[in-house]
Amino acid sequence: MLIELENLTFSYQKRLPPVLCGLNAVFESRGIALLTGANGSGKTTLANLILGILKPCAGSIKLDGKNAVKMSPGARANRIGYLFQNPDLQLFAPTVEEELSFPFELSKTLTEEKKALLKELIKKFGLSGMETRFPLGLSGGEKQRLALAALLSKGVEYLILDEPTSALDAGSKEDLIHFINDFSKNNGVLVMSHDEDLADALEDKRVLRLEGGRLYEA
Amino acid sequence: MKLDPRSRLLLIVLLTTLAVLSEDVGNLMIVAGAAIGAGILCRISFLDAAKRLKHFLSLILFIAVVQSLTVKGGDILVHIGKVQLLTSRGIGFALEFVLRMSVILMAGLIASTAEGSEMTDGLLKLRMPYELAFMSAIALRYLPVFRDEFANRIKAIALRGIDIKKLSLWTKLKLYGYLITPAILGAMQKSEELARALNARGFRAFKKRTMLRELKLSYKDWIVMITALVFTAVFLIRMYTCGALLVL
Ligand SMILES: Nc1ncnc2c1ncn2[C@@H]1O[C@H](COP(=O)(O)OP(=O)(O)OP(=O)(O)O)[C@@H](O)[C@H]1O
Ligand SMILES: [Mg+2]
Repeated sequence: MLIELENLTFSYQKRLPPVLCGLNAVFESRGIALLTGANGSGKTTLANLILGILKPCAGSIKLDGKNAVKMSPGARANRIGYLFQNPDLQLFAPTVEEELSFPFELSKTLTEEKKALLKELIKKFGLSGMETRFPLGLSGGEKQRLALAALLSKGVEYLILDEPTSALDAGSKEDLIHFINDFSKNNGVLVMSHDEDLADALEDKRVLRLEGGRLYEA
Repeated sequence: MKLDPRSRLLLIVLLTTLAVLSEDVGNLMIVAGAAIGAGILCRISFLDAAKRLKHFLSLILFIAVVQSLTVKGGDILVHIGKVQLLTSRGIGFALEFVLRMSVILMAGLIASTAEGSEMTDGLLKLRMPYELAFMSAIALRYLPVFRDEFANRIKAIALRGIDIKKLSLWTKLKLYGYLITPAILGAMQKSEELARALNARGFRAFKKRTMLRELKLSYKDWIVMITALVFTAVFLIRMYTCGALLVL
């Protein structure tokens, strides 16, 4: 999925100066883009705009060359996975297992194939043995891994990870780095992070800096 | 100058009492007028409030329309053949409902003008135990937090690729289960954290508390309170003598 931002401007309130101001960027459909920027520089805001949770005040967002204005957040999210800075808000179901399956159950698309894929994801993200646990009762790192597994269950083509290492220990961080490097061979990943270890370990990345509402290539 | 929280509390109590006790449209109109006056005194921006409450207002209007169409009696105003569509009693019912809800909403708006610990201070001065006053203030303070969190959760569920508008009623109900369970559990977690944070900061470590701002009633507060009390008394007595006060 190719994401193109053109002249993107956004402010939360009319009276306040805009958080993003005439921002231009292209995020390729393959490879890693690392987005840095001070606290409050608008990284999370940018992710919300790409997913359609927030609407831009001016400018446009194109997904694979198509204007995204008419695409609902749900339609965009089927192709772009967005891991929240706070994954608590992304977990709903009473058990880990159901957390992965409920969107498919609701849309009546839970096939045997899907079930097998979900099992695999549980194993891949180190959640085996926790299938019947309550998601919000998991540790911070486990919640983040579960949220990530939930995103991947839909077969997304692009991932936006907002501070993905904030709750991870060294071992889980290594696993995540491995996963990102691997996933980015065929898909695009936008990582928003201040984590130096993560930044150093990501392969073939573009580094971007958000400052004063604009993006700079570092 | 802003009114003292105690004057505002009094206005809230009196307005809601009158809204509940008044029975006919005429009386409710007078109370609604008084509520608008109170709103102006408390510097409520009506336009902002209407914007914030637009969903709630449309719900009230919807209920009023249903009521006016379903309650029958009195003179028939609109009819198709033998089917009565609109009757005077139906319209009266709907009007009463709208007026009563508007007054109660206004009281809620006045309550929401409180900043920080204002209402706690006001309640304390009225000799409410500190723990109770503090709890009610916290409850008020957290309402918008929960509203925002709920809105965020709806967005987050849309991001799971679920188009809420396209679901059948039954699946929608199931979906609300997914929204409400974590919201309640999250609230419980939050309250536990809050309790721990309070203890860590020495809540109730000393018997006597001091206050940063001492509240003082100004002459304006006295005028407002006395006027409000006199108005309420006259209003209730008048209703009582007319036999309109049904509860007594
Ligand atoms: N809902 C909101 N209403 C008003 N202002 C907001 C809202 N959310 C964020 N902001 C403001 O917008 C600016 C950008 O916030 P944003 O969360 O995008 O920053 P960020 O780069 O993700 O920061 P961090 O590194 O701390 O996660 C901040 O100044 C913030 O205060
Ligand atoms: Mg952020």
